[in-house]
Amino acid sequence: MFEKVLIANRGEIALRVARACRELGVRCVSVYSTADAESAVVRFADEAVQIGPPATSRSYLHIPSLIGAALKTGADAVHPGYGFLSEDPYFAEICADSGITFIGPRPDVMEKVGDKATARDLMSKAGLPLLPGTVEPVNTLDEAREVCSEIGYPVIIKAVAGGGGRGMNVVTRDDDLADLYHMTRATAQAVFKDSAVYIERFLETSRHTEIQIVCDAHGSGVYFGERDCSVQRRHQKLIEEAPSLHLSDETRREVGEAAVRGALSVGYTGAGTMEFLLDLAFMEMNARIQVEHPVSEMVTSVDLIQEQIRVAAGEPLSVTQDDVLPLRGHAIECRINAEDPDRDFAPTAGRLDTYVPPGGPWTRVDSHCYPGWMISPFYDSLIAKLIVWAPDRDRAIERMQRALSEFEITGRGVKTTIPFHQRILDHPQFRSGDVTTDFVEHFMSEQVAAAAG
Amino acid sequence: MSDRDPADQDRMYAVWAEARELIKGLEGTSIQRLAVEIGDARIEIERGLPPGVPGAPTVLAPGGEFSSGDGAAAPDDSHHAIKAPLVGTFYRSGSPGADPFVRVGDVVEPGQTVAIVEAMKLMNQVTADVKGTVVEILIEDGQWVEFEQTIVLLDVADGDA
Repeated sequence: MFEKVLIANRGEIALRVARACRELGVRCVSVYSTADAESAVVRFADEAVQIGPPATSRSYLHIPSLIGAALKTGADAVHPGYGFLSEDPYFAEICADSGITFIGPRPDVMEKVGDKATARDLMSKAGLPLLPGTVEPVNTLDEAREVCSEIGYPVIIKAVAGGGGRGMNVVTRDDDLADLYHMTRATAQAVFKDSAVYIERFLETSRHTEIQIVCDAHGSGVYFGERDCSVQRRHQKLIEEAPSLHLSDETRREVGEAAVRGALSVGYTGAGTMEFLLDLAFMEMNARIQVEHPVSEMVTSVDLIQEQIRVAAGEPLSVTQDDVLPLRGHAIECRINAEDPDRDFAPTAGRLDTYVPPGGPWTRVDSHCYPGWMISPFYDSLIAKLIVWAPDRDRAIERMQRALSEFEITGRGVKTTIPFHQRILDHPQFRSGDVTTDFVEHFMSEQVAAAAG
Repeated sequence: MSDRDPADQDRMYAVWAEARELIKGLEGTSIQRLAVEIGDARIEIERGLPPGVPGAPTVLAPGGEFSSGDGAAAPDDSHHAIKAPLVGTFYRSGSPGADPFVRVGDVVEPGQTVAIVEAMKLMNQVTADVKGTVVEILIEDGQWVEFEQTIVLLDVADGDA
């Protein structure tokens, strides 16, 4: 096991990782920008190093400062959290060159799964179903036309190097294909420096489902069930739950096994997520721990961050597939953001006057906030992840409503997404479980119509 | 180096020529890191971006210069703190055994190098931003410093600083 882990991140995930280290008996180092000097993880960690000014390009994304902090404190491993440098193969390589273990997959593996075309190819070979479309990049308009007539409209043209909802266009008819094909290539070249695109069938609406896996360096992998993340707005997830209501035990086993097989076939190690649209097509793989990992922890009783650290240290996974299945009960997570849902979810920075998190049975709050903490305009607006568990989904929803009503957050200018979550949880469609990725959009126009009427 | 294999030297020149071409092509892009490799010869370049390019770091060009210090941590009004511009190893001189850039009692001019902070083999010069007399050098040679840690105190009470 490691002696000392440096946490190259901030906010709730930095504290989450630090807590895992403490329970494992591993010392931890927090790094912080001047805007985060008063943050909870700085107080919690065994050591802390100030690495730069608030701008992330000179602090949390500044590799020399992070490596410097690791060398200064003698850390033998770096946990990248999510976001920032968590999926940067170059950072992973520099860590290795500096004699520091990067807690995540090897740089070359990270690069492979980060390339969407390569990832599709590999996962298709491992037996994961794909949407109709191409595995190889489409290089000419004629080729594109051929593909489209084969799979039928609507299709989506995506940049191979794309991400974050950029570099993709939906084509609904043949007349638009030429324009949109060239436009996507041009955008891909401008934004991602790579004009390669591929084409797949476009689903107007679907259920965003993802499988959590962890693989060790001894050739073993375990899948930790799935999460349904269909409650999202413009690709930003708001509510996640586990398990999905729309996956049978048999399908879960099939897809889970294929996900592990696919990951192991490229030498993947560490925690990762395979994204699918139901039913049932592989979309992409994320080579990091994700924000919504706690819901999987709640239904499997496994601390995923501890597993992640363990396998990075060369130890075998501490659990087997049989320990994890069947998934137990139901878990829901609400992301409480400092955003104003009435003003198009604009971030609302400010100092917290009141911060009283909920408690009680099976109620978990992952947060770095406390009364007096300043929600900074420099970083993301996540205040807290509120997670509840119950034996079934209905009772989990009741518990979440109870917990949300206890949560007190006030501050000058600070608005939160709590009231928005409360309304969603009350919505008959959400209650029925029949939610697809267009749900939030419909829900919001309903609210506007109700207010006007 | 006279004893170097001429073939190696040729290779290095070839790598360098290739790197120079590539650097020209980087003009106006946001590419920050570049490595060119031919055989055993390898050149790695990390460059800063001109201000205004999204994501441009304001530090870290090899041999780049910093002006640092805002006096916020100075113990009294007549003292001005020069602070570390990044995390790294603090050096008082340009090379081992060389004279230190400044000693206590020296008068420094704005822009004058007072120390080096090394991060990942890049030497970052720390310069004085005001005129003053060095009252204290707070860090031992070869010690690690954090971002904005005060490394040199200047007395700016007298003179025209």
